Amino acid sequence: MAIKVPGKRYGKRLEHSKVFGHGGHGKKSGFADLLITPLVDMFIIIVLFLIANFSATGEVLMMTKDIQLPEAVNVKEVEMHPVVMVSNEQVTISGTIVGRVEDLVKDEYLNIPALEEKLRDMKKQYEDLHAMAGNADGGFKGDVNIQANKEVEFKIIKRVMFSCATAGYNNINFAVLTKGGDGAAPASAGAAPH
Amino acid sequence: MAGGMDLGNGGKGGKKPLDAAINLVPFIDLMAVTISFLIMTAVWTQIGRLQVSQAGGPSTEETPPEETKTVQLTLAITPEQLVLTADQSTFDPIPLTRDANGKLELVKLTERLKQIKEQFPDQSAITLQTDDKVRYDVLVRIIDECLGNALPQVSVMATG
Repeated sequence: MAIKVPGKRYGKRLEHSKVFGHGGHGKKSGFADLLITPLVDMFIIIVLFLIANFSATGEVLMMTKDIQLPEAVNVKEVEMHPVVMVSNEQVTISGTIVGRVEDLVKDEYLNIPALEEKLRDMKKQYEDLHAMAGNADGGFKGDVNIQANKEVEFKIIKRVMFSCATAGYNNINFAVLTKGGDGAAPASAGAAPH
Repeated sequence: MAGGMDLGNGGKGGKKPLDAAINLVPFIDLMAVTISFLIMTAVWTQIGRLQVSQAGGPSTEETPPEETKTVQLTLAITPEQLVLTADQSTFDPIPLTRDANGKLELVKLTERLKQIKEQFPDQSAITLQTDDKVRYDVLVRIIDECLGNALPQVSVMATG
């Protein structure tokens, strides 16, 4: 009897099996052709979809769970300006809490001193930066974005607006979610320039 | 690779087949990189802005020429109703109602604004005199309606 190499040895019945057997026949080549055409098609569709959704301005506003924006149709494109966030609990600017809504409702003052101070600082910083750069065109225009929750009362918005105006930010922009509509393009084109 | 046309091998010797395989690997690499970049920079929520000014504050808008015929248009907003005033004449109050989906119904306001716009085509300014209790979404909806009716200079002020 011939000496066999150690290892698993199957019986006669399985000797020529495709799975267990070691026979030469029944084995296919290790190379398989992948169908690339549908993959490329899918990639093209994804790229086109993402390019259609691409926004060069990036994310100006930070969306948070406690601020639900109202919807509007006749809107303009949002721009990079200081953002005052007003939720049901607090008023914040650049991540700094400048007032609690609970306290602001009780107060009878028209402004929010901390917000006003912060805005003044930001205005000064902006003006200093542009003065150093010698940029004559980049003058301070006083634009500010207000990102408020849709359930907030006007009493709070009024105080925020007043503080902005006092600090020199007179061009107030309310951030809204753009709702698809027929009138969106002409109205936004016809909206007031600044 | 598919795409080429097989002309057979019956021709003269030395002719190469026209079937050429395009190397798709760099193309797929480029696609993968582009997709990754676009997904990372994608903005999924479409945000816009409604520009308003504060009544009484300095205005950046150009002053209209003298010959234009306009009125002092004021819309008083309370949680219950809207009252439109053009100069001294006050229109009937419009009750604020919502439809079955909770959406504010402003058909009457739109009609009145259209009437005013027909009478005064040069009219572009409106002042919203808002009550403290009015919710922000109601105010935004009304501002949106004003902008939609060719009144781009919206000023917001508080009542009292």
